[in-house]
Amino acid sequence: MATKPFTYDISRGFLPGHRACAGCGQAAAVRMVMEIAAPNCVVTNATGCLEVFSTPYPESAWGVPWLHSLFENSASIASGVEAALRKQGRLENTRVLAFGGDGGTVDIGFGALSGMLERGHDILYVCYDNEAYMNTGVQRSGATPYAASTTTSPAGRASFGEDHPKKNLPAICAAHGIPYVATASMAFFADLKRKVRKALGIRGPKYIHVHVPCPPGWGYPEKDTVEIGKLAVETGLFPLVEWEDGEVTRVRKIKRLPVEEYLKPQRRFRHLFRTEEGKAKLAEIQAIADSNIEKYGLAG
Amino acid sequence: MPIERGKRILMRGNEVIAQAAMDAGCRAFFGYPITPQNQIPDYMARHMPEVDGVFLQAESEVSAINMVYGAAAAGARVMTASSSPGISLKQEGISYIAEAQLPCVIVNIMRGGSGLGNIAPSQADYFQAVKGGGHGDYRTLVLAPWSVQELYDLTRLAFDMADRYRGPVLVLGDALLGQMMEPVVISEQVVDPASLPDKPWATTGARERPHNVINSLYIDPPDLAASNERLQQRYREAAQREVRFAEEHLEDAELAVVAYGTSARVAATAIEQARARGIRVGLFRPISLFPFPSARLAETAARVKTMLVVELSAGQMVEDVRLAVEGRAEVHFMGKCGGVVFTPAELLAEIVSLAGKDGDDGE
Repeated sequence: MATKPFTYDISRGFLPGHRACAGCGQAAAVRMVMEIAAPNCVVTNATGCLEVFSTPYPESAWGVPWLHSLFENSASIASGVEAALRKQGRLENTRVLAFGGDGGTVDIGFGALSGMLERGHDILYVCYDNEAYMNTGVQRSGATPYAASTTTSPAGRASFGEDHPKKNLPAICAAHGIPYVATASMAFFADLKRKVRKALGIRGPKYIHVHVPCPPGWGYPEKDTVEIGKLAVETGLFPLVEWEDGEVTRVRKIKRLPVEEYLKPQRRFRHLFRTEEGKAKLAEIQAIADSNIEKYGLAG
Repeated sequence: MPIERGKRILMRGNEVIAQAAMDAGCRAFFGYPITPQNQIPDYMARHMPEVDGVFLQAESEVSAINMVYGAAAAGARVMTASSSPGISLKQEGISYIAEAQLPCVIVNIMRGGSGLGNIAPSQADYFQAVKGGGHGDYRTLVLAPWSVQELYDLTRLAFDMADRYRGPVLVLGDALLGQMMEPVVISEQVVDPASLPDKPWATTGARERPHNVINSLYIDPPDLAASNERLQQRYREAAQREVRFAEEHLEDAELAVVAYGTSARVAATAIEQARARGIRVGLFRPISLFPFPSARLAETAARVKTMLVVELSAGQMVEDVRLAVEGRAEVHFMGKCGGVVFTPAELLAEIVSLAGKDGDDGE
């Protein structure tokens, strides 16, 4: 039987055959971002899961110019690319995108990102947030949610897991007064693509923070990535918000599901369902969701 | 589950480093994720609370090393760990810590470089470790273990040396040593931090004494020169007291293999195989890389005809060997880069070739 040869369109920017885990939320999100951004773009990529699974060099899943760097400097390298392209007169037809994970963006790359936003570079920075350092084995980051168990915030007799709330980096970016900031989720495909399209139509610094569920890091079946991503949004724990020039201009209304529906399927939260202290933490997490719902007006 | 002390147990190298630090009275650890050292912070996160110590994950290596600066200034026994790219990022802090005379232990579980490189074993950070790494005339004292047991013993020793010489001490391992599990005896003797000597220079609050100053800024050149000289005096003292090395089969050797850490382990196997063939070859293994065992190497060079320096790098320690032997022996080099590790067979072939050449010369 004749088989059809496998072909792909390199202009799509991010190609199949990479080594992401089954059910990887980040890989799906990158594909959607690149469907909008490719082919006329340059991507800088901080180290992390994305760099490792997309480019076990000399293999690479990128169909566009791509620069890799270490953790802390994706925004700086993108700033250099943008400044040079501008001087060469090439910025008109080329979009510069900077990618990083939550550790590389919220923690170690924070200063570089703030500098990039403040200087007004024409760059879209996309943070893919899987809420811990997954590439190195699930260490907590500043984006790890309250009470999640990771290898460096382990739940146990003396600990209920991560003891600080998730850092609200999108709001910090918006506070720079830049033209466009959005949160997005890989589980809301059309919403994510609309935001990327909108960002790329604006000149100046833009920031999109995409929630990307991670089956091995969060501990749920690979087939449920989209479902888990939706639950994060519909409970109010990951609000979908857009800011323009520092002001909230649009939010996605939610179903307001109880947070347990999102937390219970995940191994990183299972300790909360086993003890009285855990139940008290569930109430605190519900309070975080309620606060988000109130703050951003998410109730439908 | 508590570990069983005083008996041979199976543990992973990285976890043993963390346990050794706590057993040495370290109650403050500041880390940041990077492979292949992640089991050190992971172990600290789980076990530091049991000894009422601090585990803190910083937001960057820069932050972690400066937390070390702060905790050391406050008089604590303190450690940080990372791997090659992360150690590069710490260099500014290490230079400041050295000039400010603050004791601390830094662990580098080396991986392939330069740049992001990979996560496989490498020894390509030798220059960075022993020549300073950051700016200025400081050095770090450097210990290079070759087994999980030595990871334990030398990490403990590093804390004593840091306090004695009031500066940073580097434990230089690699991906193979950090990730490997092998038998180790965890000591029954543990240090109670309360029993450690006072640090009267520490910035702990000055209610009943004049306040202390921790500083590396000396605007007047003669003042800075005096501070620099104080460090150099400590390095000279360390050179008198802290030179460590191990020797195997050198009594009758005509060829000495010089190697440390993982390279030395592979070399030891190849040397046994070579000796079984009647080749008179031995191993010289530097354990302290700074201070370097130069005097003993020079004596050895006067006895053997040939030396073979073996490193997982393009050739770094070989420069110190050549400086030490000053032409007393012919110094050859064999290196592997990029995270590739020698096989004993490759080393054996090189040993046989060098021994054969010497024989042909009829000396």
